[in-house]
Amino acid sequence: MPAHLIPTEALFGAWVAVGLTLFIFSFLYKDNPLFKIGEHLYVGISVGYTVVIVWYTVFIRLVWEEIKKGNYEPVIPVIIGLLILTRFIPKIAWLSRIAFAFVVGFGSGVAIPRTISSYILKQIEDTVNPLVTMGSGSFFQLANPQSGMNTVVVLIGVVSVLFYFFFSIEHTGAANTIARTGIYFLMIGFGAAFGYTVMSRMSLLIGRFRDLQTYAGGEYAYATAVLLSATIVTLALWEILGRRGTRLE
Amino acid sequence: MKAFARRMISIDRRIIFLLIAGATLLPLVRPFGLPIKVSPEVKAVYDYVEELPKGSVFFLSFDFDPSSKPELEPQAVALLRHAFRKNLRVIGMTHWLPGTSLADSIFARVAAEMHKVPGKDYVFLGWSPGGGSLIIAMGQDLYKAFPSDYAKRPTEGMPVLQGVKNLRDVNYLVSLAAGSSGIEMWYVFGKDKYRFEMAGGSTGVIAPGLYPFLRSGQINGLIGGLQGAAEYETLIKQKGTAVAGMDAQSADHMVIIFLVLLCNVFYFVLRNEKGAAV
Repeated sequence: MPAHLIPTEALFGAWVAVGLTLFIFSFLYKDNPLFKIGEHLYVGISVGYTVVIVWYTVFIRLVWEEIKKGNYEPVIPVIIGLLILTRFIPKIAWLSRIAFAFVVGFGSGVAIPRTISSYILKQIEDTVNPLVTMGSGSFFQLANPQSGMNTVVVLIGVVSVLFYFFFSIEHTGAANTIARTGIYFLMIGFGAAFGYTVMSRMSLLIGRFRDLQTYAGGEYAYATAVLLSATIVTLALWEILGRRGTRLE
Repeated sequence: MKAFARRMISIDRRIIFLLIAGATLLPLVRPFGLPIKVSPEVKAVYDYVEELPKGSVFFLSFDFDPSSKPELEPQAVALLRHAFRKNLRVIGMTHWLPGTSLADSIFARVAAEMHKVPGKDYVFLGWSPGGGSLIIAMGQDLYKAFPSDYAKRPTEGMPVLQGVKNLRDVNYLVSLAAGSSGIEMWYVFGKDKYRFEMAGGSTGVIAPGLYPFLRSGQINGLIGGLQGAAEYETLIKQKGTAVAGMDAQSADHMVIIFLVLLCNVFYFVLRNEKGAAV
């Protein structure tokens, strides 16, 4: 077996990756202890990893090392941050309001103008494009998002969808036609979004299968074949024990 | 026919899982080599990178974690290969804490493949808290936001960052995003304020929501999902995992379309039966 060609940590990593992938996939059969192991490991490792990175990046790099250099600026946000912890001491819990006021005030002040500019003004600017522009290529050029044809489609879509959500008048007659047009636009939008979601999920499946394929070789000590067999045997035993009523849940 | 339709409608869903597994696995083992058509939004990103002069500052933000790796890793690899081939100075970072070491490993792997030196040709800054506030801080002073890189080397005086004070000195930025803490955040707090050109690469799930930004010119290009990555790999003429996965993607889509049509036929056959939808 040419497993010695791969460094031990890479070999171990491959076995862990294959094992956990198969444990998670085993849920497609039914909920089982192997899936639970994979699920709990994922949660635990994610939290552990986050704590370590936050400790190093935030406390050590941005606070401690700066203080050691004689820069005491980070002490101010540290104090504001610590005020949040006063929530645990009822007598001085009111101090946490200072921290929350800072977070809300700063967050709103930074986010509101930028969000209005980017999400509202820029989008309105693009929606109210002239319907017919001179010398900008063919009106019917569907591949060009700025073509006249697409601008008309955007206009009809925006007006009809907005009208669909306008409930102050009854949707009958011409109003019903406009509202129904809005529904069609919404349905096409949802369809496109769902199509992309399916594509995305399939890509994730392909990614896992590609890894299983990569680690199936001799250089990884046949991780996929060995662990797939082990998973199937474990599930079979678990099923048999369950039918006999001797399984520990 | 009705009895058959009834039986098929209540088929064990695990059979469908097996069909999808087969449709995924077969093309991976024996690829068909289906052609890949490049879309204008992906070509726009490629063209912009292609036109950047040697030594320009290319910023790649890895705004994803391992759960989006199959879609966004091929995009990152293709973009890095292109940028390194063009001898651009590459700066990388991530807004997604769980993706930090994944981003670092992608960076290190592609840089080693292209014989690029850390600190001289590229730098990976790692993760820092703040999101939008961090972008604003980087727009004011990159070195205060990131006093050291992911490998704990001081950023001040690094050859790759020569002449770079803040985000205004970035020539092109691409955010590879799996959620709103990515392309949208970079646009809202970065491009709109500090006036650099930017594009996005995204998972398929969030791609439809980004098309309004593309149409309005807020981003100049968009690489969407595995398909987008495959298109970029085709453009740089270096096929990778995305092109290899596209046959499986097409096969999966064919199976899904076939099953949806078939299911509708069965429902149509049983349309007058009560409780037909099991």
